[in-house]
Amino acid sequence: MNKLVVKKIEHKNIVWFKNSNSYLVLEQIAADILLKIDKKNSFEEIETWALKKIAASKNIIKKFIEDVFLLYSTNNEIKRENQTDVKANKIPTKYFLEKYYAINNYIFKIQFETEFHLLKIHPTFAHLEIKEPPNYSFKYTVFNNKNLIVFFKDGTFIGKWNKNEAHVFEGKLSMQILIDIYKKPETNWMGVFHASAISNGKESMLFLGDSGNGKSTSLALLNANGFDCIADDFVPIDNGKNIYTYPAAISIKKKSVKTLLSFYPELENSAEYHFKKLNKTVRYLPPKNINFDIKLKCKALVFIKYNPKIELEINSISKIDAFQQLIPDSWISPLEKNVTVFLKWFLDLPCYELTYSNNTKMIATVSKIFNDEL
Amino acid sequence: MKKQPKNTEENITRKDAIKKIGSYGKYAALTAIGTYILLNPKTAQARSPTNPGDGGGF
Repeated sequence: MNKLVVKKIEHKNIVWFKNSNSYLVLEQIAADILLKIDKKNSFEEIETWALKKIAASKNIIKKFIEDVFLLYSTNNEIKRENQTDVKANKIPTKYFLEKYYAINNYIFKIQFETEFHLLKIHPTFAHLEIKEPPNYSFKYTVFNNKNLIVFFKDGTFIGKWNKNEAHVFEGKLSMQILIDIYKKPETNWMGVFHASAISNGKESMLFLGDSGNGKSTSLALLNANGFDCIADDFVPIDNGKNIYTYPAAISIKKKSVKTLLSFYPELENSAEYHFKKLNKTVRYLPPKNINFDIKLKCKALVFIKYNPKIELEINSISKIDAFQQLIPDSWISPLEKNVTVFLKWFLDLPCYELTYSNNTKMIATVSKIFNDEL
Repeated sequence: MKKQPKNTEENITRKDAIKKIGSYGKYAALTAIGTYILLNPKTAQARSPTNPGDGGGF
C-alpha cells in the first residue's frame, strides 16, 4: 500500500514509484489501474471496473490489466545500493595539497591526495580560498583507494566512486558543502537542479537545458546587468520550496569569453582549463555579491537555448515537455514527503522555452517574466 | 512487460523514454492508453562532467 504518489499533469497523470524512485507519465485509465493495484484490489475487481471503462473485448482488456500489473511490479523493485566496507579505506597521511575555503562564515579544510582530486574541486571554489587559519569548521579528505575516489568528512566515510563517476563525487562533495553551510540535512533538500539560477532580489528564476545551450553565459550576462547570481550548475531547493545560493564559480566556455569580456575584463587573464575528452575549454568566473542570507521562491523555469539564427523567441511549453526535460537531469529527493512537495511545486510553476542570440532582448525578456509583463 | 520493437516513425523523445505497456498495435484505443513515459531522476547529486585529469591551467 501507498507505494505510489499520483498527480494530474495536463490530460495525463504522473505516477511516482517509491521503491524504484521512478516517474511514469501515463493515461488516466492506466494510472487508475495502478492505483487500484496499489490498494490491493483483486484482478477480477479491476477487470469488472475496466470493462465498463474501455471499449474493447474482454480478452484484450484482461491482457492490458495483466500488463499494468507487470508494470507495477517492475517499477516496485527496490534498488539496493552496494554495501561498502568502510574499514577498507585507509586514510593517507600525505597530501598533494591542503586548501582552506571560507564559505558563509565557516572554514573548510580540504585535503587532496593527488592533483587529480584538487582539479576536480578547487577551480570552482578558488575565489573562496583563504590562507591557513588557526581553526577550521569542517575537514574534508579526498583520496584514492584501489582506483576509487574516496571522500571522508571529519573522519567519517561519505562515499567512493570510480573515476568515470567523478562528476557524482563532485556532486556529493558539493552537496556536503550545502548541508554544512546551511546546517540542513540531506532529507530537508527537495532537489538539486542542473541549471543556473538568477534573482531580481525578490524571486528566483531557473535556466535549464542541455550542456552547451548557454545556461552559464546567460547567467553571467544577467549577473552583469542588475540580476543576482544564485547558482551555476548546481541549484539547490529545500522542501520549503526555497532556492538557495550556491557559491561555486560560473563556468564560462571559451566561445563565450569574447561576449563577456566587456562585462568581465578579469576573464582575459583567468586560468583556462582544457577538458580534452569533452572537447571544451573553460574559465571560471566568481559570482558577484554572493549573499547566503536569502532564500527565494522560484518564479519560472526557463529552458534556454542560444541560436545564432534567432534574435529572440519565447514560448510557454507544456508541463509534460518540461517534466521530461527536467527529471533525467535532476536529483530529486527520493523521500515521499519531498516528492509530494516537488510535484506540487513543479505543477504550479510556469515553464518557458527561450531561444535567443540578442543579449539585450534576452535580458529584457527575463525582466518581463519577473514583472508578469509577458 | 513487453517492449515494442522501436518504431522509427514514432516521435521518441528524450532518452527513449516513451514506452508501451503492452503490444496493442492492432487496437488503436489500447495503444493510446497503453503508452507511457518512464523518467528516472539522477540517483545522486552531480555536477556537470569535467575532466581536468587531462591537464589544465595550474
